Amino acid sequence: MNGQSLFPDPPQGMTLSALNARIENAISRSSDLHNQWVIAEAVDMRLVKGHCYMELIEKDPSGNTIAKISAAIWASNYGSLYYKFKNATGQPFGNGMKLLLKVTATYHRLFGFKLVINDINPEFTLGDLARQRQEIINRLTAEGIIDMNKQLPWTEVPQRIAIISAAGAAGYGDFMNQLHSNAYGLKYYTCLFSASMQGAQTVPTVLAALDRINASIDLFDCVVIIRGGGATSELNSFDNYDLASAVAQFPIPVIVGIGHERDVTVLDFVAAMRVKTPTAAAEWLIQRGTDALAHLNDLQDEIATTVRETIARAREQLAYYGTMIPATARSILDTNRVKLDSCARALPVAAVNLITAQRSRLERAVERMGDAVANTLLREKQRLQSLDEKATLLSPLNTLRRGYSLVMKEGKCITAATQLKPGDPVTVQFATGKADATIDNVNNQQQ
Amino acid sequence: MEENTQMTYTQAVTELEQLVQKMQDPQCSIDHLTDYTKRCKQLLDICRKKLTEADTQLQQILADMQEKN
Repeated sequence: MNGQSLFPDPPQGMTLSALNARIENAISRSSDLHNQWVIAEAVDMRLVKGHCYMELIEKDPSGNTIAKISAAIWASNYGSLYYKFKNATGQPFGNGMKLLLKVTATYHRLFGFKLVINDINPEFTLGDLARQRQEIINRLTAEGIIDMNKQLPWTEVPQRIAIISAAGAAGYGDFMNQLHSNAYGLKYYTCLFSASMQGAQTVPTVLAALDRINASIDLFDCVVIIRGGGATSELNSFDNYDLASAVAQFPIPVIVGIGHERDVTVLDFVAAMRVKTPTAAAEWLIQRGTDALAHLNDLQDEIATTVRETIARAREQLAYYGTMIPATARSILDTNRVKLDSCARALPVAAVNLITAQRSRLERAVERMGDAVANTLLREKQRLQSLDEKATLLSPLNTLRRGYSLVMKEGKCITAATQLKPGDPVTVQFATGKADATIDNVNNQQQ
Repeated sequence: MEENTQMTYTQAVTELEQLVQKMQDPQCSIDHLTDYTKRCKQLLDICRKKLTEADTQLQQILADMQEKN
């Protein structure tokens, strides 16, 4: 044997444990893999024996995962990080959240590579959630739908209520108990449309419930979306564009009661009514009912007062007329008496004026009449005078004086011989005296 | 009364408010007062009933619907 083995040495390699030990050594000595702050999204988060395991991923803007690594928070650290995060953000860290983590890369020869999370910066997540929420709000605003549900009119008293909640959830029980056992005897009609209120199924199941309600929309006055508050609330699921958009555009008012004072989700911005808890949602509905009852009582009082006042007013009016009529009558009499007095005073003056006027008119007439009479007398006198003159000239006496005689028979003047016959007695009138004669002869011949 | 049972709360309370307003008008005739008051009482009853008396038909419809959910 010259030392040459019958079997050639197989190719040499180190043991896996030796290699892993070397990797472990290299990683543990690399200071830039220790306590590094890294931004990542947590998915597939799970608790096993107090340790919190998850995958950390990074996505590009179009949503493709471009980096992925396993990570863990050891149980020794989990409690303090959990409360630190929850106290700052109002909610526990959960799937889909962007986290700022202080990590150390570790390698275990049996369990492999893992990032160990030593610390967490909740302010980063808070900012990121707020930014996401703001982006959704901006989009809903730009689309003009953010206020649509808020602008819907409420029925006077919403009594028919569609509830979206997880069946058997404490919050649902609180709501139902509060609502149906109200102390005022107000009746409410509820119908549960169950949905998952946390985790990845929240958005699709709540959207499906909204669709089912929409199919019987005439049966309901409003929708109430509730979940028990409590420590495990995971509100992140409600900061979702599709859900917010559906609620904003829902045809009847939506009441959202899914968190506490500090937790504001996008749904709180779009729902017609936002309350802190399921109990508060029930209280708000009961308040609408008691307001309505109070309003009815007020109206009833108002009716009674109005009836009383109307009757009192009518009575008052009657009394007023009762006193007014004699006074009015007196006043009418007084007015007319004054009128009469003034007429009576005016009458003599008017009469005197009238008489004076008539008298002077009469006097003027008398004057005119005197003149007229005088004139007429004068005129007649002159006429008579002229007639007298004419008469004097024409008087038979004058003619007789000139030597003529007047023969008359039986008192009538004889102007023709034919009026006589012999023997007729005639009287001959002279200027002075007369003589009776008898006709001897008549000569009818003209001279 | 048939028409009254068909009324919604909103319709009834709206008519009630209008009626009260009418009664409060100084022009409201005392002759109408009795009729108005009677109608007010009717409407008040309808409203209160709507708020506090169970509509069993509606309860049944919603119970059936919830079961199918």
